[in-house]
Amino acid sequence: MYLYLYDSFLNNKKFTQALAKIETRLTDLGIGGKICRLSPLRNMEELINDEVKAGVKTIVVVGNDKTLSQIVNVAAKHEVPMGLIPLGPENQIAQALGIPQGEAACEIIAARIIKKIDLGRINNLYFLSGVKISDSDVTIECEDLYRITPKFKNAKISICNFKPLNDITAPKCGFDPEDGFLEIFIQPLTTHVFNFFRRHQPSDQSIIPFKRLTIRSKGSVPIITDGQKVLKTPVKIEIVPKKLRIIVGKHRNF
Amino acid sequence: MLKREGTSNEIETVIGPSVHVEGDFVAVGDIVIEGTVSGKLRTENNLRIGENAKIFANVSAANILIAGEVQGNIKVKDSLELTGSARVFGDIKANTLTIAPGAILHGRCQSGEEKKSKLEKIDDKEKKLVEPLEK
Repeated sequence: MYLYLYDSFLNNKKFTQALAKIETRLTDLGIGGKICRLSPLRNMEELINDEVKAGVKTIVVVGNDKTLSQIVNVAAKHEVPMGLIPLGPENQIAQALGIPQGEAACEIIAARIIKKIDLGRINNLYFLSGVKISDSDVTIECEDLYRITPKFKNAKISICNFKPLNDITAPKCGFDPEDGFLEIFIQPLTTHVFNFFRRHQPSDQSIIPFKRLTIRSKGSVPIITDGQKVLKTPVKIEIVPKKLRIIVGKHRNF
Repeated sequence: MLKREGTSNEIETVIGPSVHVEGDFVAVGDIVIEGTVSGKLRTENNLRIGENAKIFANVSAANILIAGEVQGNIKVKDSLELTGSARVFGDIKANTLTIAPGAILHGRCQSGEEKKSKLEKIDDKEKKLVEPLEK
């Protein structure tokens, strides 16, 4: 049995036609199921827990990155596989998973290629794609063994599970959500006008795999998980290997 | 063996020039260092130390290529290569050693298998066995 969770922004009229097409295609493919519309008044955790108890075998998120990252935190507690039908703006995670927008995603759900992927955990909060640190004036302590300090103040620091989304300069390899490691990705930022047009060389970047780390700073530095939630330093980040069963497409980037 | 170029598919850890690492750095896969490392540096795989890298640590790996500066002892399981720009201040121990002209090396150097020392150990054991019988 399939459970389809629609994000609240899909109540907007402009998505009515797209949703109707998706529902028809899902019925044609024989994978129709129960539809639940999320709203701020509805307790998502309670809803998913009840549906899993009632025998739901697959949870399909219909929405964008924000919807997915919210539901990942609840779904990770269950053994139920997750799927995604991307609709609307900000759908970079779907791109990484190789899932096309709208109706075409129904074929991916039907094909059901399930991968067990790692999740990151930051202070008991799960994240799927990565974490961005807004300020480079931080100290990163890895595995209780060594400490990483960026030499320059202008550096972009991310913690990645997938290849950094929407970053052309990031190397294609080295980021695999199935390898049991998260990666620290540090890039120096160009501030000089003449350097603006110069693309970063791969040798400028740092990629360091790890399993557990702590980020500390002198002041309070904001940390953004999956481009959505904001936390403050100090934070503890660790990998939770093979935590999430997710339906992926053939054109995924791992 | 280590390659100087085109190894991007095999590289797992890259410490860039904008990063300083301090402590006991142990990596699972290959390492490329272009920045600064102090403490200890260890991998079971290959290690490449770039021209601008500075290492203040004891280093151990399966294969190492050095083009930068290392201040500390180096232990290599298989092959160690020092390029013309390498500056090493410490003892080195490797199975195969290649030093390019222009490389700086200050320290003791041990290359090849340790057959002699093993023979000495066997002799010592035999002596210990014979001595009680003589008494």
